[in-house]
Amino acid sequence: MPFYKCLKCGKVWQYPLSECPFCFIKLEPLVSKQAKVVSASKVIIPTMRHAFVPYFSALIEDENNNKWVYKSIQELNQGDCLSYCSDSEAIAVWRIKYDYLEAIRKAIELIKGLELKENSKILILPSLFSATQAHVRENTSPEFLQAIIEYLLQNNIKIENIKIASQAFGEIPIEAMAERSGLLAVCLKNKIMPLDLNKTNFIKQDDLEISEEVIKADLVINLGINQAGRAKATENIFRILKKENYLGLKYLCSEKEIAQKLENKINNLINLSEADYLRDKEGYIYYLGIILAGKSFLKLDRVFNEIIMSREISDLIADISFEDISLVGRHIKEIQFNLIKI
Amino acid sequence: MYIKGVGMTKFDYSTKPWWQFAFEASLEAFKDAQMTPADIDAIVFSSISSAAGGEHQSHKVSFLSDLFKTNVPIIEVPSVCGGGGVAFWTALHLQGFKNILVLASEKYADNKSETTVDWILSAAEKTIEQPEGMLFPVQNALIWQQYMAKYKATMDDLSLVAFKNHTNATLNPKAYFYKKPIDLEKIKNSPIVASPFRLMDCSLSVNGGAAVILSQEESDIKVIGSGFATDYLMTFGRQDLTHFKATQLAAKQAFGQAGLTPNDINVAEVHDAFTSVELISYEDLGFADFGQGAELIRSGKINLGGSLPINPSGGLKAKGHPISATGLAQIYEITNQLKGRAEKERQTNPLPKYGLTHNIGGAGGSVTVHIFEKNN
Repeated sequence: MPFYKCLKCGKVWQYPLSECPFCFIKLEPLVSKQAKVVSASKVIIPTMRHAFVPYFSALIEDENNNKWVYKSIQELNQGDCLSYCSDSEAIAVWRIKYDYLEAIRKAIELIKGLELKENSKILILPSLFSATQAHVRENTSPEFLQAIIEYLLQNNIKIENIKIASQAFGEIPIEAMAERSGLLAVCLKNKIMPLDLNKTNFIKQDDLEISEEVIKADLVINLGINQAGRAKATENIFRILKKENYLGLKYLCSEKEIAQKLENKINNLINLSEADYLRDKEGYIYYLGIILAGKSFLKLDRVFNEIIMSREISDLIADISFEDISLVGRHIKEIQFNLIKI
Repeated sequence: MYIKGVGMTKFDYSTKPWWQFAFEASLEAFKDAQMTPADIDAIVFSSISSAAGGEHQSHKVSFLSDLFKTNVPIIEVPSVCGGGGVAFWTALHLQGFKNILVLASEKYADNKSETTVDWILSAAEKTIEQPEGMLFPVQNALIWQQYMAKYKATMDDLSLVAFKNHTNATLNPKAYFYKKPIDLEKIKNSPIVASPFRLMDCSLSVNGGAAVILSQEESDIKVIGSGFATDYLMTFGRQDLTHFKATQLAAKQAFGQAGLTPNDINVAEVHDAFTSVELISYEDLGFADFGQGAELIRSGKINLGGSLPINPSGGLKAKGHPISATGLAQIYEITNQLKGRAEKERQTNPLPKYGLTHNIGGAGGSVTVHIFEKNN
């Protein structure tokens, strides 16, 4: 759990404030190294957002004497230490608590980090599906994109080695989507020229025509935005294909097969998916507070579907067995959210 | 300021609309004060809900304007469970108004309990704490665990708090548990909700309304102390994990203004959203030393017939807790106790001179303490 401390007056917040309102200086993030259970309560009553009982809700304290609360499906007792396994092949599930950068950092840590070198060339693929405002949650949030850029900069990636790209598959011009979504403003703020993949060269690999920018990049970061009944991280990765190639392939095989081919083909890929707010199929928005990370966009989308306990599942991921997916971070039952009930 | 009249509906699960609870409570207060809406110069209203099932009404002040055919200023002051107390505090601080109606009503128990709970939880931290299962019973259970470890109190002490309040409520016609006695063994063996809390450690979510008419014109009930303090929403970000600082601060202000000490109080309504909150509040209010709250409940001094009856109404625990209406219902009870108008079996005897109300919003996030004096 991140805390934010003013190094001048010593006041501490759990909210990521821009600066101390007493001293007007930037707050220093405090990251806990060791967290112990002070006490725990076994909760027997189910509520709308906590469907599975019993669970344990615990008071946790770290080495800085900062305290917070934590839910666990496993029994917690006084003195227990919180710890997490990491696994590069797993899907990481973590909570977003206002601070996207901290959530991204933790989610990436849980999948054993990224192989970043000083001169690594990074291609970020934000979700850009419609010309709508950020609150509609159809596209990657500007704050999420900004946070991943900050994460890369903090890991010594040069700004000139970061590219942000997408492609329009529909009628709406990509410029309109980028402007309306607020993502163009993030690009410009960071002095990154956004890239329309449609205008790049495509390299043929078997029957796939993949943007040269993807092939050239040391790391591609696919930013999904989870949505009920969809598989948006997977849908977003289709944008690296030449539009005509994608449309043509759809006649020859299913989208699921295209996705599986892409999953096998793209090895320099990491998926980070935001589900801080969740959009259902009718466009209603719900608070969820989740981030997912992993190498497999298909597995990531499948895990999300399991989190929201949705009866409706995208054909892209319907055949994937949730039980076969390895998870790290938060236990699925700690965060499962019955959308139908809300 | 003086109290001219009080009113309160029965606290229950009736399906009346929110405004009817407000209207009925006001009507009783008008009659008690021998006033009509035409005598009122301002209204301070508190509410967080008007229905959890989708017919929620915002801009209730305009609704009240219509209800009372008035164009006076109407201010809405929500502060969740502490709303009634905060509305009363606000009214006391308004200047230039002779008669003020302070009013609260809630209709939120009108759906599956899961929906009602979700609604109530909007009073707690939504992003950092609630996703971690920090429901109000859990929050208070964790506080109580700390308290038990520090001061060696027991769950049996909390059962005594519940038993006292349930016993009192059986005698109060406006309480939900009127004529519905519950024995101590049943309380001790009620199902666990969030360990170590049992169902009978939790207050009762009901619908209801309450009203108080404050006036500059003298009456026999004078408000002599008024304290209000707030504290962090994140309960465990506070320094003291076993007590509520906001109660201590509000009590200090109220006692300072009244020129009294806790020993002077003859009867009190203390916020018992959970049994532990009442016990801890004995100490925060100064009725017991730190760590001695359990001894106070064991002593019987705060039962009906004791030297300081606490929650003679049955409290939130057994009278019921319609969120914002609670704070004003406490003032309703204390006014009637000071006037000697409570039912005979519940009436503090000898007739009390000083009464206190203590109303908490959230888990100690906003607290008011008021002290009242009976003048002959």
